[in-house]
Amino acid sequence: MTATVLVPNVVSPVVVGLFLPAVFTGIIVGLIGLLSISYQKNDLHALILTDIVGIGMLIIVASVGTDLAESLVLPGLVVELAEIMAISEILMSREIRKQGKTVDLMPMPLNLDMEVLTTTPIFFAIILVAYGAFLSGFTGGAIAGGGILFYVITRLARGVPANIWEGLAGASGIAWCLWLVGFLIFFVAPDYWLLALFLSAFGVFIKVTFKASLVGVMGREEFKKE
Amino acid sequence: MDISILGGPILGIIPLGDIVLYFTPFNLFMFAAALAFTALIAISSTESQVEAEFGTLKNREVKVDKAEFKLRRFLAIVCGLATAGAMVTGDLFDFTLFVTLIGIVNIGIVAAVKEIDVLDAAFQYGLIAMIGTLPLFGGAALILASTGTISLLQIVQIPYTTSLMLFGSILFFLGVAGETGVAPFFATKAEMFRTPGSPFLLIIHLSSLLIIVRTIEILLIINKPF
Repeated sequence: MTATVLVPNVVSPVVVGLFLPAVFTGIIVGLIGLLSISYQKNDLHALILTDIVGIGMLIIVASVGTDLAESLVLPGLVVELAEIMAISEILMSREIRKQGKTVDLMPMPLNLDMEVLTTTPIFFAIILVAYGAFLSGFTGGAIAGGGILFYVITRLARGVPANIWEGLAGASGIAWCLWLVGFLIFFVAPDYWLLALFLSAFGVFIKVTFKASLVGVMGREEFKKE
Repeated sequence: MDISILGGPILGIIPLGDIVLYFTPFNLFMFAAALAFTALIAISSTESQVEAEFGTLKNREVKVDKAEFKLRRFLAIVCGLATAGAMVTGDLFDFTLFVTLIGIVNIGIVAAVKEIDVLDAAFQYGLIAMIGTLPLFGGAALILASTGTISLLQIVQIPYTTSLMLFGSILFFLGVAGETGVAPFFATKAEMFRTPGSPFLLIIHLSSLLIIVRTIEILLIINKPF
C-alpha cells in the first residue's frame, strides 16, 4: 500500500508543498461561508455568501494545478455563474410576485449621470481596445468589449442614437467561424499550427469584443422603452 | 478489483480521444431505462389533466399554459439525456459535468412553476446545489490529484488506495448528494407532482436514483474495498 509520487521531478518542492495548505484553505473558506450562511436570515445575503463557498471550490480545484485540473476549473466557474444567475432570477421573480406585479424581465434602472461619461469616453475606449488587441484571445476580447461598451454607454448618456451596432453582430458570427476553422486546422493539419493559433486567437478576440458590445445594443433597447 | 466484477462483463468501449465510454450490462440497463423514460416524456402530451370531481359524476379538466409547459418538458428531456449520458461515461470529469447539468436543469424545472411557495423551494434548492459544487468539484479534483487521472478504466488498474483518495471520494459523494440527491425532497416539498401538467417531473426522482447508484459504483471502482 505504498503511494507513488505522481509529481514529476522538474516541479519545485515548494510548489508541491503548497498543495495540502491550498486544499485546507479551500475547505476552511467553504466552512466560513457555510457558517455565515447559517447565521444569515436575509435571502439575498445568503445568496451572496453562497458564492464564497463556490470560491472555496475553485481554490481546491486550482490547487491541483495540472491541465486536467484546468478542465475542471472552467466548468466549475461556468456552473457557479449559471447557478448564481438562475437563483438570483428566481429570487427576483419571487419578490416581484410577492408584490402582486407580473414583470418578466428585470428592469434596468440606468440613470447614469457621471462627469466621466462626458469628458473622457474616447480616450478610455481607445486605451481599452488597444490593450485588448495586445492581449488577444478571450481575455483581450473581454477587455476590448468593455471599452466599446463604455463608449456606447457614454454616447447614450449624451443622447446620440448609436445605430451601427447591429452590424457588429454579423461580424461576430464570421469571427466565430474563423475560430472554429482555426480549431479544425489544429486537428486536420497540425503542421499549420501557427496559422491555426492566430486564427483562433484573433477570431475569439473579435467575437468576444463584439459580443460584449452587443450588451450595449441590448442596453439601448432598454433605453428606448423609457 | 475489476470493473467486470461490479457491472458484469464489459460489452464494449467507445474511445473518443482520451474520453472512453464503456458498456457493461449494469450500465446499459440504467442507460436504457433513462432513455426510455425520456422518450416517453418527449412523445407524451400531458398539458391537460382530468380530475374527478368530488360528490358528482363530472370530470374537471385542468389546463396549463402552453409556453410554461413546453419549457418544463424541454428541461425534463435535457435532464433525462444527461442522466443517460452519466450512466455510460467512463470518465469522472464527464460524470461531474453531467451531475452539475442535472442540478441546473432541476433548478429550472422546479422554478418554472410561478407560485411563491414553489419559488421558495426552488431558491433553497438552488442554494444547496451551489454549496454542493464545492464538495463535488473539490472531490473530483482530489481524486485527480491522488490518482493522476480521471479515467475510470485507468483508475481501476491502480493497485493501492490512499487516504486522500478516500477523502476525495467522500467529498464527491457529498457533492452528488447536494447536487441531485436532495432534488426530490425539494420537489416534493413544493408539492410539484400535483400541479397540473407535470407528471413527467418524476424524472427528478429517476435521475436522482440512477445517479446515486452510479456514484456508488464509481466510488467502489476508485476505492476498491473488496
